[in-house]
Amino acid sequence: MTVKQFFKGTAFKCLISLLCVLLVCGVFLTVMNSLLAVSAEERFERAIGKIYGKPVRTEVLAVENYNTNANIEEAYKIRDDGNYLIKSKGFGGFDNGTVTCWVVVELSGGSISGIGKVLIDSNERQSYIDRVSASALNQFGELYESGIYYTQDLITNATVANTKTAICNAVNGAVDFVNAKLGNVTEDPYKDFDYIANIQTVLSSHIYNAEDPVGESVIFTVVSSGYGHASNFTSEITVNVSDGTIRTFEVTACGSTGSSFDTTAKNNVAAFIGKDLDGILAILGGNTAYPGNGSGAWLEAGASESTYSLYNAALFATANYEKCVPAPDEEGGEE
Amino acid sequence: MNKYKKITLDGIIFQNPTFILVLGTCPTLGLISSAFSAMGMGLTVLVILTLSNVIISLLRKLIPNEVRIPCYIVIIATLVTFARMFLDKFIPDLYEGLGGFLALIVVNCIILGRAEAFANKHTVAESAVDGIAQGLGFTLALTAMGIICEFFGKGSLFGLQIMNFKIGMLATPAGAFLVYGLSIAVFVYVVDCFERARRVKANKLARENLLKEAV
Repeated sequence: MTVKQFFKGTAFKCLISLLCVLLVCGVFLTVMNSLLAVSAEERFERAIGKIYGKPVRTEVLAVENYNTNANIEEAYKIRDDGNYLIKSKGFGGFDNGTVTCWVVVELSGGSISGIGKVLIDSNERQSYIDRVSASALNQFGELYESGIYYTQDLITNATVANTKTAICNAVNGAVDFVNAKLGNVTEDPYKDFDYIANIQTVLSSHIYNAEDPVGESVIFTVVSSGYGHASNFTSEITVNVSDGTIRTFEVTACGSTGSSFDTTAKNNVAAFIGKDLDGILAILGGNTAYPGNGSGAWLEAGASESTYSLYNAALFATANYEKCVPAPDEEGGEE
Repeated sequence: MNKYKKITLDGIIFQNPTFILVLGTCPTLGLISSAFSAMGMGLTVLVILTLSNVIISLLRKLIPNEVRIPCYIVIIATLVTFARMFLDKFIPDLYEGLGGFLALIVVNCIILGRAEAFANKHTVAESAVDGIAQGLGFTLALTAMGIICEFFGKGSLFGLQIMNFKIGMLATPAGAFLVYGLSIAVFVYVVDCFERARRVKANKLARENLLKEAV
């Protein structure tokens, strides 16, 4: 085929047609994008409109995080009523996704008096976010009590547990932020710990037990975020201070979607007993990411997502037990 | 019969994309639990379908046959992206209500189907009428089923609470599937009755004409 034949051929016509269509469409979309793009200010005004129904005067606050399960993205003080409006992203949702909420934190007499409104702004991978009803979001206001953290069990009328966890984390993060602004800093005790990405740190705790007859130990009560379909799990893990191995691992609250998965996940924790951090890491070949359904010897039993939640709890406990042992001149170790 | 009238009647009734051709099933099942979302989806598809039919009809002699499908998809995807930008800017409530189904219009069989089956063989005016008619057929079907599902499933209409009695299942995709199936049955039965009556009338006329000719 000569060059002339190529330029007269169907292949060249097809190529040019496709390129022309692509070019025209690309230019059109570029122009439209610049004309129709929704700015951050516009989105903020929309949120204000949904919450207050009218424009309000706001004062922008510097953003800081006091809760590792949430990320404060924007914060405002409403000049009209003195309340705080916080845009907070909660972690630990379905498939490790997030939910970003606008949270109105109401003040009275210089302290938090309640949650005025919770409005879902956006989400990542929460395919059933529509099932979180308005009545479920209203419960944050109805159930507010000073000093408590919202948990997924507290909120009803929303069927997706992990999505609820992310929303609870967003609200908890907003409350912690406002508390800090008011001078009541509630520092996350596990902020500087390792492997906290999948742990509900504000709901977890530990006790250092120097009097343990078997040997010095740290007993963790770990609330680990659910993974995939599985929801939060609560486990009581005893770690030997002498060598960092797990002595006991008891699942006290399950989050699987069925009792058979709960039983399987509970049985799977036997694989963690007697292992230290390296041993736990070796189970997934040093990689801490979710390996996929049915991967790895202990994940083949049919409760992979639930077991992964417990795996994260084991990682957290074995990686951080030394930080929970008080220095020789300290007394006690309870957080 | 006037060809535009035939195209219109075909789009809305005799070749209704939802009830007769059973196309665009995914958004139908996903969105008819809310009448507002169902109507919004229908109208969005109407606009995109009309525009894509017009553009494809305009370009039908320029686009080589071998690459027509990729070109159609690029054009439809562009229109859908534009619709997303437009809705996000001006009707954010509808944009949020339609969610992922809005982007999925790109692969809606009705749009690509009409481009391939109609727009690339007919004039711009005919294609425009076809787009409007098919879009109207889709919108009316979705809105009707949306009203049924929302009324019985949530006790409300277009978000307005009307009664406390509700059959929760009808507000789920499973309930939507049930309503969709029953609606197809009723629609096909009615159209069938109508066509049978029309055939009887036509036969009667033909017989009378034959008798007249014989006399």
